[in-house]
Amino acid sequence: MASGIKDKAVIVGMGCTQFGERWDTSSDMLMVEAFTEALEDSGLEKSQIEAAWFGSALDDVNVGNSAIPLATALRLQGLPVTRVENMCATGTEALRGAVYAVASGAVDVAVAVGVEKLKDTGFGGLPIRTKGSVNDLWMPYGSAPGTFAQLAGAYQAKHGLKAEDVKRGMAHVSWKSHQNGALSPKAHLRKPVDMETILNAPMISDPLGLFDCCGVSDGAACAIVVSPEFAKSLGKDDLVAVKALQISTSHGWEAQYGEWDGSYVKGTRIAAQKAYAEAGVRDPREEISVTEVHDCFSITEMVTMEDLGLSDEGRAAFDCLDGRYDRDGAIPSQVDGGLKCFGHPVGASGLRMAYEVYSQLLGRAGQRQLRDVNFGLTHNLGGQPANSVSSVSVFGRL
Amino acid sequence: MTEMRLQSVSGYLPLLRFDAKVARSELRWSGLGGSGRGHRAVAGWDEDPLTMAVEAARGADLSVPPESVVFASTSAPFSDRSQAGVMAEALRLPTSVLTQDVANTRRGAVTALIRALKGGASELIASGEKRTARPGTAQHVGWGDGAGAALVGSGDGVAKMLGHASITADLLDIYTSVERATPYPSEDRFVRDAAVGEVYTPAIRAALDAAGIAAGDVAAAVVPEPVGGTYRAAAKACGLDAPNLCEEVAAKAGDLGTAMPFFCLGLALDRSKIGDRLLVAGFGNGADVLVLEVTGRGDGTASAALARGAILTSYSRFLNLTGMLPLEYGPRAEVNQKVSASTLLRHGRDMHGFVGGRDQGGNVQFPKTPVPVRPDATGPEDYEDVPMTEIAAKVASITADRLNFTPDPPFYFGLVQFENGARVMMEHCDCEGRTPEVGEPLRMQFRIKALDRQRHFRSYFWKAAPIARPDLPEEGK
Repeated sequence: MASGIKDKAVIVGMGCTQFGERWDTSSDMLMVEAFTEALEDSGLEKSQIEAAWFGSALDDVNVGNSAIPLATALRLQGLPVTRVENMCATGTEALRGAVYAVASGAVDVAVAVGVEKLKDTGFGGLPIRTKGSVNDLWMPYGSAPGTFAQLAGAYQAKHGLKAEDVKRGMAHVSWKSHQNGALSPKAHLRKPVDMETILNAPMISDPLGLFDCCGVSDGAACAIVVSPEFAKSLGKDDLVAVKALQISTSHGWEAQYGEWDGSYVKGTRIAAQKAYAEAGVRDPREEISVTEVHDCFSITEMVTMEDLGLSDEGRAAFDCLDGRYDRDGAIPSQVDGGLKCFGHPVGASGLRMAYEVYSQLLGRAGQRQLRDVNFGLTHNLGGQPANSVSSVSVFGRL
Repeated sequence: MTEMRLQSVSGYLPLLRFDAKVARSELRWSGLGGSGRGHRAVAGWDEDPLTMAVEAARGADLSVPPESVVFASTSAPFSDRSQAGVMAEALRLPTSVLTQDVANTRRGAVTALIRALKGGASELIASGEKRTARPGTAQHVGWGDGAGAALVGSGDGVAKMLGHASITADLLDIYTSVERATPYPSEDRFVRDAAVGEVYTPAIRAALDAAGIAAGDVAAAVVPEPVGGTYRAAAKACGLDAPNLCEEVAAKAGDLGTAMPFFCLGLALDRSKIGDRLLVAGFGNGADVLVLEVTGRGDGTASAALARGAILTSYSRFLNLTGMLPLEYGPRAEVNQKVSASTLLRHGRDMHGFVGGRDQGGNVQFPKTPVPVRPDATGPEDYEDVPMTEIAAKVASITADRLNFTPDPPFYFGLVQFENGARVMMEHCDCEGRTPEVGEPLRMQFRIKALDRQRHFRSYFWKAAPIARPDLPEEGK
């Protein structure tokens, strides 16, 4: 009988590069940077690694397809290395591969690396990609902000809210992340921004303005995952365990079936409930100490708080404005600045979220350190609300 | 042989009307601003003669499919791809329908109509025009984009032909060629005199003779003019005193080229009473003229198209939409839009016709997939075809996207909820600066889906538009 992933794998080392416009750094070097930090953190030798998972989402501007680029960059001689891609949830997919390998007992030590080199596109925002030769015949080539902006209108209509309230709630989400990003040395955007600037920014995709959108960055992150038994055999006793790791992938219901009202992300709700059950979290509002959610756009973070059960339906905008998710609020979110300010190198983001939660759990978050961190939650979202890959992970001490 | 009659005539105009005063003002420095009088219809970036012809043809009752389909245009986007064939797919006609593309003369639609009325087979003739002309020419502000469609069949219909006549003359009022895509005009005074004396006067007289009626019996005329004043002079020579609807349409929407006769005929039928005689001409290197007797009412589409729309007052946007100001949209516009021929053959009929499917559980979806989206579906199912184009629909979610490349920003798209339960992520069109609200009703429009600028190909699909167009201001207000 399956018993889930809880406490079957622990993270003993993590690394994360400086995110941002890394004009002088290749993807190879970003992978090496993140891996080197993680390896030093773990105290292991490279020769002890038995398997690796490689996350990169946009092969046309990164390193190409297959796992060979990771094996080559790190010179992982003869190891089973697997590339995974699940849009913006790619980093979490890489971690899931490593965690499942360790939890299954197949290996003692696995590594997950995620990397993206988005600034080599030559323009802002994500590249526009084909959706396949059939879908291209009918499916709109919407931008990422365009697909998420639609959440706002549907959310506002469903709950009968004023556009101004939704806009101000979203603005507070971004304001808070800029405040936090200023305290993150490795963040892409480190400048606080005032509410008026956010509210009056140029429109990108109605109603999302410039500051409602996350940064597009270069970066890499890495996790070294081992079995609890292996960690203890090394004398390690302050361990961060994976309590839950759930992914829910859209099967067309939202975009084709007509019951979804467009105001939430169904996959996040499914993944959250499964993750809470897997982790043994009964009341997330009381038990989750910190979240790193997929704030690709401010509206995404706002509705995610409802999808995770942390805000009542229709109340997230007001909870945001009340400071519930600020660094000094009840459930701090995006303490490192999030996608919004730490940056969003797509394949690395899921692992970057885990890096911050890992740091918070181990008391290493410096100026950002929170008190009494119990469970940390990461939420990594690929695709768009109508067609998503939603992941919710819970981390805590073993 | 069964007498063939016109069963319906429909007209379509794009949303925008460019005010000629704007061109006059902007080009005053050059002396090429023109008269500044009137408006012309301007197609959206995603409209072309084929899409507009399909829109006009949707006015016809095709529940009994015609035996043949004709597409007529002098500005057809493809010179070796049957647009009549794509139109047949868009209208979901049987694959066995006879299709023909007519090109190279503005009178092609009327020629096809005369042939159809003299033949024994039912036929849909649709004409669309989106002609290119250089800024500073009379054609750039005087030509309009639009379409018309006529259905010929054996029922009582809306009009029957009493007689016809044709004149051929290599009169070069304008010409375009492979080497010169924009028109080269002759002197107006020469064109008018030659069109009156060599073409229209003898053709109209012959048509009236063939119909066995006097000039004074004509209630309304549809006589395209190569230059202003042509009809008045020809009418005087022939003894006609009927108004020419082409003058009104030219002033309000521009000269629609091949589509002009059908659009104006649609308008004439809207305004006529049964028994009226109409004179209809197609002009271009000669003329075809036919005399009709009205047997039924028009469908109102041309009248509605002429009365509703939105005024375009930006000269630079007008230049851009007419292909005369190619802006540099940067690397985001470099997306690869290649269409796979095998994919198109496999799926094109469902895409062009916007055909979804009803699964075994009764749920409708688009596109059809091996395993239906219905939650209790367990494996592949067969579908019953469900055309989506006429199904009532509304906005489920939407945005105006200013990041994504589109030739005419912003890019509107979102989830569309159909009354039959289907839901489709779609591009929107004709929003004109106003983002539709959640729940707002929508109608489907056949449009260009993607322009492949590398390979000079275009694909077609349907887009969602606000259901009602605004009324245009009345002239002089």
